[in-house]
Amino acid sequence: MTSRWPQDARCVVNITVDFDGLSNETGKKLLPIGKYSHGRYSAKRGVPRFFELFERLGIKATFYVPGYDAECFPAAVRSIADAGHEIGAHGYLHEAYDLGEEEPFYLRKTHKILTDLLGASPVGWRNPGGGKSDLTIKVLRELGYIYDSSEKAADFPYFPVVAGQRLRDFVNLPDNTSSLDDAPFYRDSMTPPSEVCEQWKAEFDTAYAEGGYYDLIVHPRSGFGSGGPTRAKALENVILYIQRHPGVLFQRQVETARWCLQNPDLWPERTHPWSGRQ
Amino acid sequence: MTKIEQATGGLMAVTVNVHGASVELRAVNEERLVGRYAYGNYMPNGVDRLLRLFQALNVPATFFVPGREIERHPGLIREIRDAGHEIAANGYALEDHSALGDAEFEALKKAHGIMSDFLGEAPLGWRAPDGLMSMKTLGYLTQLGYLYDSSFQDDDFPYRLDDDGGVGMIEIPQNPTLIDQNLFSIKQPDARVLKNWKEEFEGLRSVGAFVCQTLHPRQDYGVGRAPRMIKLEEFLRHTQYSPQPVVFKTCADIAKTALAA
Repeated sequence: MTSRWPQDARCVVNITVDFDGLSNETGKKLLPIGKYSHGRYSAKRGVPRFFELFERLGIKATFYVPGYDAECFPAAVRSIADAGHEIGAHGYLHEAYDLGEEEPFYLRKTHKILTDLLGASPVGWRNPGGGKSDLTIKVLRELGYIYDSSEKAADFPYFPVVAGQRLRDFVNLPDNTSSLDDAPFYRDSMTPPSEVCEQWKAEFDTAYAEGGYYDLIVHPRSGFGSGGPTRAKALENVILYIQRHPGVLFQRQVETARWCLQNPDLWPERTHPWSGRQ
Repeated sequence: MTKIEQATGGLMAVTVNVHGASVELRAVNEERLVGRYAYGNYMPNGVDRLLRLFQALNVPATFFVPGREIERHPGLIREIRDAGHEIAANGYALEDHSALGDAEFEALKKAHGIMSDFLGEAPLGWRAPDGLMSMKTLGYLTQLGYLYDSSFQDDDFPYRLDDDGGVGMIEIPQNPTLIDQNLFSIKQPDARVLKNWKEEFEGLRSVGAFVCQTLHPRQDYGVGRAPRMIKLEEFLRHTQYSPQPVVFKTCADIAKTALAA
């Protein structure tokens, strides 16, 4: 199999962390206290635990931070960038709902908050809870973003079609919220972490076999997230399993996006190895 | 590790929300506590089983009791207290404390008065009914002299609530995986619940964390029925046969330990 990846890698892995502190509940008009206090765990416990884990395993990750959380936890968010991880934008109040014509305002608002806090602009964005519209990519490109990690249409990166034109300066890095996201397993089915770990290993096996792309989504919060010690250990076991395979390249998403943009011909519309169709 | 973390790591609180018909009485009146509104009537069976289990395993537990359950089952609640367990507050009629507004302080005082009269002393701890509270709740609890709250789910250890409005108080955080309702309400089979609990316990112990379990003596979303009680027994024994066994304490004792740290 010919590699599409840098360094002739067989598989590229992005570990992506959706910060989701108080924004998640506040955006739903819930007070982030009592049984809705899970987001308070992110800055206090989950993020430091992930730092320690990623450093021990030699990994740089991409953290998606809602603007409101950057306002509430500026030190924690700055520490993410200081540790060499990437910070992408993730809505203002984790708007999983349709913002209508107000969407550009909130995209710009969060962009400014993160830029002012970090002294550098984010170039990646992930939709909070699926909240995205036909306006989103237009505004993101105006703000200088080069990639979006929200789409479910493929297993490989691809260039989105906007207003009938296939872009070449902006790439989609798909996020699989069905089986490579901790939230559905730990919220909807409360699957034991050992079984989630096995699921994510099996997902990796197929990505590795296809010379593919593997984007694992975790949350540092309590409740549906992986910030606690048991689930962080399950995450660690997945990463250790992946690291035992030769030819795997761990990247922040910004590096993966830049590679795709520099090599656009490697990423036709349909990119599965066995698919000749366009 | 902070001093509170050192002092409370390895302690375990077994807590019980005594939710009987007060759950259903939010929707229907006394005469309608039948059929699909009868689940809460099962509660005394669950409490009986829990008391026997806790006695057998020497577990001092903390029972959070709504005022209305005291009025409906005074004998049962006295039995719990006489067995040496802690009785703590849990509202009067499972009110939504995030929506009471100006009436919240009066509601807290009413439930506080019922419980204090019944016990002959003021309760030291409070847990929000259904985990719902307002930004003012902790301040009111401070005024009423409470030592701790146990409504949050946001830490691996107890912590001071001074920055959150509960001046001088301790938070005894719950663990979402160890709340039976979260697992039984999505119809997990008992064996899978036990698997979840054991995995969570091992993870918590691996970092020396505090452990808080939350149980309901109900048959629907609680641990009240016999087969579930057997799983609970296996879990509690597991915590003692672990290479790092935990020490069971009431929430009040844990709060005092944290405050003294």
